[in-house]
Amino acid sequence: MKAVILAAGEGKRLRPFTETMPKVMLPIANKPIIEYVFDAIKKTGMDEIILVVGYKKEVIMDYFKEYKGIKITYIIQDKQLGTAHALLQAKDNLKESFIVLAGDNIIDDKGIQKLIQDKSEYSIIVKEHPYPSKYGVVFLENQNLKEIVEKPKEEIGKFISTGIYKFPMNVFKKLEQLNKQGIHDLSSVVESLLKDGILFSTNTADSWMDIVYPWDLIQVNEIMLQNIKGSTSGTIEKNVIIKGDVSIGKDTKIYSGSYIVGPVIIGEVCEIGPNACIFPSTSIGNNSVIHPFTEIQNSIIMNDVHIGSSSFIRNSVIARGSILRHNFTSSSDECTIEIEGEFKKVENIGSLIGEDCTIENHVVVDPGVIIGRKCNISSMKRIRKNIQSNSKVM
Amino acid sequence: MVKCVILAAGEGKRIHPLTYTRPKVMLPVANKPIIEYNLLNAINAGLKEFVFVVAYKSEMVRNYFGNGEKYKVKIEYINQGEPKGTAHAIGVVERFVDDFIVLCGDTIFGENDIKNILNTKNSIGLYKLDNPKEYGIVETKNDKIVKIYEKMDKPFTNIINAGIYHFDKKVFDFIKKTDRSPRGEYEITDTINMMTEKSIVSSVILKEWRDVVYPWHLLDANEEVLKKLDEKIEGTIEKNATIKGKVIVGKNTIVMNGSYIEGPVVIGENCKIGPNCYIRPYTSIGDSWHIGNACEIKNSIVFDNSNIPHQNYVGDSIIGSGCNFGAGTKVANLRLDKNNIIVTLNGKIIDSKRRKLGVIMGDNVQTGINSMINIGSFIGNNVSIGPGAIVKGVIEPDSKVM
Amino acid sequence: MCGIIGYNGFRDADIVILNGLKKLEYRGYDSAGIAIIDKKQQVYKEIGEIKNLEEKLPKIKGTIGIGHTRWATTGGVTKNNAHPHLSTSGKIAIVHNGIIENYVKLRENLEKKGFKFVSQTDSEIIANLIEDNYKGNLKDAVFSAIKKLEGYYAIVVTCEDEPDKIIGARLQSPLVIGVGDNENFLASDIPAFLKYTNRVIYLNEAEICVLTKKDVKVYNKDEKVVDKKENVIDWNIQDAEKSGFPHFMLKEIYDQPDTVNQVLRGRISEIHRNINFNENVENLLNSNISSIQIVACGTSYYAGLIGKYIIEKFTDTPVFVEFASEYRYFGLKHESSLVIAITQSGETLDTLAALREAKNSGCKTLVITNVVGSTATRISDAYILMQSGPEIGVAATKTFTSQIIVLLLIALKLGMIKNKISAVQLYEYIRYLREIPRTVRDVLNKNNEILDIAKQLKNAESVFFIGRGVNYPLSLEGALKLKEISYIHAEGFAAGELKHGPFALLTKSTPVVVIATKDATYDKILANIGEVKARGSQVIAIAEIDDTEIEKHADFVLRVPGGSGVLPSIPIIVVLQLLAYHVADLRKCSIDKPRNLAKSVTVE
Repeated sequence: MKAVILAAGEGKRLRPFTETMPKVMLPIANKPIIEYVFDAIKKTGMDEIILVVGYKKEVIMDYFKEYKGIKITYIIQDKQLGTAHALLQAKDNLKESFIVLAGDNIIDDKGIQKLIQDKSEYSIIVKEHPYPSKYGVVFLENQNLKEIVEKPKEEIGKFISTGIYKFPMNVFKKLEQLNKQGIHDLSSVVESLLKDGILFSTNTADSWMDIVYPWDLIQVNEIMLQNIKGSTSGTIEKNVIIKGDVSIGKDTKIYSGSYIVGPVIIGEVCEIGPNACIFPSTSIGNNSVIHPFTEIQNSIIMNDVHIGSSSFIRNSVIARGSILRHNFTSSSDECTIEIEGEFKKVENIGSLIGEDCTIENHVVVDPGVIIGRKCNISSMKRIRKNIQSNSKVM
Repeated sequence: MVKCVILAAGEGKRIHPLTYTRPKVMLPVANKPIIEYNLLNAINAGLKEFVFVVAYKSEMVRNYFGNGEKYKVKIEYINQGEPKGTAHAIGVVERFVDDFIVLCGDTIFGENDIKNILNTKNSIGLYKLDNPKEYGIVETKNDKIVKIYEKMDKPFTNIINAGIYHFDKKVFDFIKKTDRSPRGEYEITDTINMMTEKSIVSSVILKEWRDVVYPWHLLDANEEVLKKLDEKIEGTIEKNATIKGKVIVGKNTIVMNGSYIEGPVVIGENCKIGPNCYIRPYTSIGDSWHIGNACEIKNSIVFDNSNIPHQNYVGDSIIGSGCNFGAGTKVANLRLDKNNIIVTLNGKIIDSKRRKLGVIMGDNVQTGINSMINIGSFIGNNVSIGPGAIVKGVIEPDSKVM
Repeated sequence: MCGIIGYNGFRDADIVILNGLKKLEYRGYDSAGIAIIDKKQQVYKEIGEIKNLEEKLPKIKGTIGIGHTRWATTGGVTKNNAHPHLSTSGKIAIVHNGIIENYVKLRENLEKKGFKFVSQTDSEIIANLIEDNYKGNLKDAVFSAIKKLEGYYAIVVTCEDEPDKIIGARLQSPLVIGVGDNENFLASDIPAFLKYTNRVIYLNEAEICVLTKKDVKVYNKDEKVVDKKENVIDWNIQDAEKSGFPHFMLKEIYDQPDTVNQVLRGRISEIHRNINFNENVENLLNSNISSIQIVACGTSYYAGLIGKYIIEKFTDTPVFVEFASEYRYFGLKHESSLVIAITQSGETLDTLAALREAKNSGCKTLVITNVVGSTATRISDAYILMQSGPEIGVAATKTFTSQIIVLLLIALKLGMIKNKISAVQLYEYIRYLREIPRTVRDVLNKNNEILDIAKQLKNAESVFFIGRGVNYPLSLEGALKLKEISYIHAEGFAAGELKHGPFALLTKSTPVVVIATKDATYDKILANIGEVKARGSQVIAIAEIDDTEIEKHADFVLRVPGGSGVLPSIPIIVVLQLLAYHVADLRKCSIDKPRNLAKSVTVE
């Protein structure tokens, strides 16, 4: 059986991080999100992935030629009209029943396995969720799907649709028909199929995580880091303390006096310390340098990042290529953040800094502040509000 | 003339770091590569012509065995080209064989079992295993093969596919029809399942069987093989050295005053043992070793050209070639709570099912004085461990722990 | 420049040879062919890429054969001129890489004897020459034939009367033996057979080898058997793909933030403030060096010119940059000088020859290359790898930036050794190096702006590139990139030289690309822009991001992040690459495989 993975979307709510790469390529514990999906598929024994790409497709295509023996066939969706439209693009590469899933949801293999073994033609994975109103809430009848209510205002049910389906080839007739009517999202297609009296059996997922907002990255990173296994590469100087599961990449140097408490993953060719402290649930990408006396906890530091001495970073995301000179502080607290016109309350969030920023000495960033890509901030500033990409703070 | 095809192409990723520098079949057990036991047993079973299917670091297999002259047999080599599975590996020998036995070079098979397979055309070897979860299991009916199944969580039988077969030319037609498995490889088990539909495939139940999946299985294999060896002393034993039980000492090896060796132990050639060291049972020591004053080694395999020279303890460990232990470097091999030792391999947690396990050390590792290595550690090739450093867990190749 | 392969073994020869040719396609790709002995010689040739041959090839039985991928030198691109060539009787087949200088004379002689020729190539005479000398022993015939050849060659020969062997011979063109089990290989380059064996024998000049399925015999030019050592190759060839980019060149331009990290990997330390190379290189750089000669061809030569500026700046050691093809014959070779050869492939014939000459004269030799195990790495005292991964586009992009970074690292290292750079300065430079991936990304994000400028250039007949100082070699490189893929005539000049001649060529329809960074000569370059404008030409300036003066002078401005003082601005190179790429793309040129050019040039 083949799996169709939809990975064409941009993930606007994750800007500025998605300005140069598609959402599915954002790193969680130093692996692109979509790699977790591949891992689950690999475990189920499926042998081919049809990957629908669009927004910044080259980044994905350059990274994955195939995945641990699984063939990847790329399908390009030129315009990101919607998930149903994306699936339609894969039609010619499919011959029999298939699984469709989103590239930006982390799922365990057992749920997919249930879906594969399910005898009915149409099938869906559902999941109990603490905040169902963000998603399509599902109603069941005799274990079959009865109705999906998208983003209900009131709490009407606990189970939501994960957007993972098994479809027979017949589904394409419906997709084509609705495509002509300008309906491009998959949940509308499913609703229409339900109206036609098609039975969808339901299966539940053990774990399923969706990444919608920047702070989801930090949370999911924390969860996925729990699976990290300790392994040491590079050079570890004397008097470095490493506790718990810490994975250190090739050619990385950890200098004397540094204190690292796992779970932590540090990529390749980094330089850390002397006397730097890295505390749990932190991922540091490749080619990053963390200068002396800096403390980092529960954060995602991507590739090529420079963090100067005596900085303090907590509950934050620092994107690729950013330079934070010395004494940078990210304050972290509960706050309300505006994303694409929505106001979201977030518990304990630090700063969210986009790609290739330069932040000079002694800058303090208030909780939940989003700094866009390629911003320059001069020294001794306190940043209280979000800053658009390509801005300068003098 | 029946030929014997030995599959020796695999890298053995699960035995990193030891297999970074040698193919899996060349890992030593009691100072001989695994594959040599198969060769010798097959020769004793009456086989004279061999085809080795090689690929990963094939030059090491070839340099060791040559054309088979020293065994008075003929050995040919075929490069598999790409690692595309067992069916593919067997497929490449098509032009070289007619009636033939195939066996996996990384599993040790017994002489009598090979003989039985040899006498049963179109057969596969089966083995009864207490816990067959990790292996492909086989459904049989009146000694005939019905079907081979992939490994299962709840296997319905304890009969497993042992990895030894007797085929003739017909197998190649089926191999050509074999499709890629979900793993993306051409598997001989799929081929056999096709054959059982069209013709009769017999079974032979094996008496001996020892496969090596994880590095510590080498220690089990080592123990088994050492038990069977006979004493043979070719080197020099100095006065006041004590040799107890079955001990093999190679040429030009000198066992110095005050050394105490409890067999079964095998020591290679050109070694300098002692003075005053203690070598305990089930230890295999390769060629050109120096084990010096106040050192203790037990239940371990140490490859060639390494040194454990001063005040060292090594237990339940495997040490690669070219390693040098600094004075006082010691290896822990038992948890304080005496529970099974859990190791991490390729990011997976695995219960080694051993209460005692020291270090799996690759080649050319240097340790500084008084450094310590904790239980169940994996140390990659060319790692340097500084003086007084404490090492645990997985240390990737070329790392430095100061 | 061509790729050749021979196979003698047990596998289906057509599959082995086609796979091998695909790995050799970088050496040429205008036509390809194979000849397999299945009782008789079965020859198939096609014009175009190897894919083309593969599609049209019927299944051929037979386990011995030869193959060829061609880049035409003598004789046009036709099916007849494609290799393999058969002798008049059709029994002997050959493939050839190289040039036979006396082929006209040999051909006349053979024609007099009644041999027939069907192609215009120099290679075909080899087949007939061997047949002319054939007296029942192919090896003897090959020996007799090659004695009459002038020029250089790598050839592989089969004969249907001796269907158990293939014979190879080489003089100055590459040919390696792959030693397998029950099979043996011959090819221009190792990747062609690496899938099947990692044991190779390198042939020396003028040696001949005879390969049966079971063994390999090598003879020297006196026909004596020589004992050869097998070398075990310990590397993998990764397959390159376009990854959604329309061309390899564009992909390789976009690879640069990564390849920069790769070339820096393990070589710089920000905390230690140090630059590390492997021991051989460090020893070489630590030895007493009175002068440095950089020898290279093409793009690598321009990298060398940039190297001259930076090495001289940091070390006060005189640096001379020479074309390898000139240096080998005319260059001054002094024992106390360090010769740095730059060659992406490690197989560029002229550079190898220059390297050998230098070595024979007692010079210390250092090679900067991208290919592990290439000839250059084997014949030099030490080598530095660019670690850029395979570069498929014929126009060098990522390897050029990597070459410059290696030269920069050498300059900084030498500066440290000679105490010309302080630890504080070094830290600043290391920070600059660390930030290169970021500045390159910055330029890549300006892709659309550069595309707009490219539209201005696409109909030009001629484009000038000018700059001063380190920007002068950048101008040369910019011009080279443009001409090699867009076929627009382009020249690079030192800005101060315009008035000494090139102005005569300048017309209103000659756009001028000016590289104007804020260095000591910034005012001068503004004056140069004035001179150009006065002649009515369009000026496209590449300037630093905070330069507010420049738009008063230039018609179009492309901005790049500033470099760190003397360090060359890698981002400028990326701008020039994208500019050339877009012009070529707008003109619908064959970007990855420009006409008449091959990736690595192993002929003189």
